[in-house]
Amino acid sequence: MSVDVGGLRLRGPVLAASGTFGYGTEVPLLERRALGAMVSKGIFLREREGTPPPRIVETPSGMLNAIGLQGPGADVLVRDYAPKWATWDFPVLVNINGESPAEYGELAARLEGVPGIAGYEINISCPNVEQGGLYFGNDPRAAAAVTEAVRKRTRLPVWVKLTPMVGDIGVIARAVESAGADALCAINTLVGMSIDLNAYGPRLSFRTGGLSGPAIRPLAVSLAHQAARAVRIPVIGVGGIGRAEDALEFLVAGCAAVQVGTATFVNPTAIAEVHDGIASFLRSRGFASLADLPRYLPRD
Amino acid sequence: MFVIGVRAPEIATTVRAGQFVNLGWEQGPLLRRPFSVYRADGDLVEVILKAVGVGTSQLLGMRVGERISCLGPLGRGFEITGSRALLISGGLGVAPMPLAARDARAAGARVTWVHGARTAAELCTEADGDDVLWATDDGSRGFRGTAVAAAPDADLVLACGPNRMLAAVAGRWPDAQVAVETYMGCGTGVCLGCAVPLVRGGYDRACKEGPVYRAADVEWGALPAHLPYAATA
Repeated sequence: MSVDVGGLRLRGPVLAASGTFGYGTEVPLLERRALGAMVSKGIFLREREGTPPPRIVETPSGMLNAIGLQGPGADVLVRDYAPKWATWDFPVLVNINGESPAEYGELAARLEGVPGIAGYEINISCPNVEQGGLYFGNDPRAAAAVTEAVRKRTRLPVWVKLTPMVGDIGVIARAVESAGADALCAINTLVGMSIDLNAYGPRLSFRTGGLSGPAIRPLAVSLAHQAARAVRIPVIGVGGIGRAEDALEFLVAGCAAVQVGTATFVNPTAIAEVHDGIASFLRSRGFASLADLPRYLPRD
Repeated sequence: MFVIGVRAPEIATTVRAGQFVNLGWEQGPLLRRPFSVYRADGDLVEVILKAVGVGTSQLLGMRVGERISCLGPLGRGFEITGSRALLISGGLGVAPMPLAARDARAAGARVTWVHGARTAAELCTEADGDDVLWATDDGSRGFRGTAVAAAPDADLVLACGPNRMLAAVAGRWPDAQVAVETYMGCGTGVCLGCAVPLVRGGYDRACKEGPVYRAADVEWGALPAHLPYAATA
């Protein structure tokens, strides 16, 4: 089940998505044996408070969140979390954020060489910050500028997490590939809104939030597939995966690996179940390895 | 109000007053639903609920023997010490109090329990202590007014109810321990959805550092005064 993805050899194709696994230290009972890699909660160079409550609301087959990238900043991450990651038997990538390309680069430089950090996932798709985030993700030049700024400051693998809130994801995918990305993650959440009919206003204090969960899966499969058709670097599929069959849809649609996110909130052992389910699917269909799984990936 | 029991021996024997369980079930809503543990007896964990939405209606429609996923015990419960304990609960805030009364008695404290609701019909009549006081907004049983106004003085104050009630508790007893209500995503500390605003600035997590807080530490003005449960239930 091992896979090579964007400069890293992973023991399995199922990864923990950013923002749904904390820093990996929160839940001792989580089954880590099946984890291909973990992407940490998104971080900025400096500490961020996050948005006021309410921050989450459930919607049909999904949820909206507006956490606002609450986090302790790079220094605390290096001091408190990276030393733990250095002892783990799977790689940890840090989801990095900034308000300008230079700030993304500065953050990568601050984290460079710190034991325990295996790579970066550049977040150009967070819908819940006033500056940065989504802004960089829907403009190919801005997306490339951020990717390049990080690429110049690191020797580690650089993955870029794409937003679905674009006209043609292939354009953004090609732009960040050319700027030096080693892999793409598709997709981040969609911007959604839910209205409280008693308050005559939004349920979330940030007004809008990122929609995740099974509700977005068909859209995520479609966009991950489009991204995979557009580039030569691997694409990691993410969006509404809770069972092995969900993950297999992304893999057949051309993804090299997958991330499990919201499902972990509901089922702390979701990642292990998805991993084991993929393995038994491959066995039952007579495939010796994941590489033998038939893919649907006609080239554009 | 209804009480349902879940056979969960490991949780039943270790749960402390103020801690909660996160319930999930087949065909249920996407996210689990958090409930304070109401009672723990033998290998049974009990929670108390009202039918406020689809999720809770599904729970109440279950038959004996059906399976449910019960994650817990979660969060940080009450710290119970001292010789006199005052329990204040409003509405469904009654949830953590039977365990709080149990633990306070076990610690040798005399327990006074003040329970309030809008009307006598909405009171949870299972409240139990050395002294029990009732309060209703309409005066249909006991004190006419809030449970906070009806309460005598005490050194150890434990409270649970709508956040606006807990804000009143904070005004009278800054050192009271209060169990707050928030929307919750994972219940395990990773999603940061259950943010509680703090007076010292910033937020922490009701599911991890809470749900029990020192009353004066919470920035009540920035916490929704009352959760419309039906929105997500």
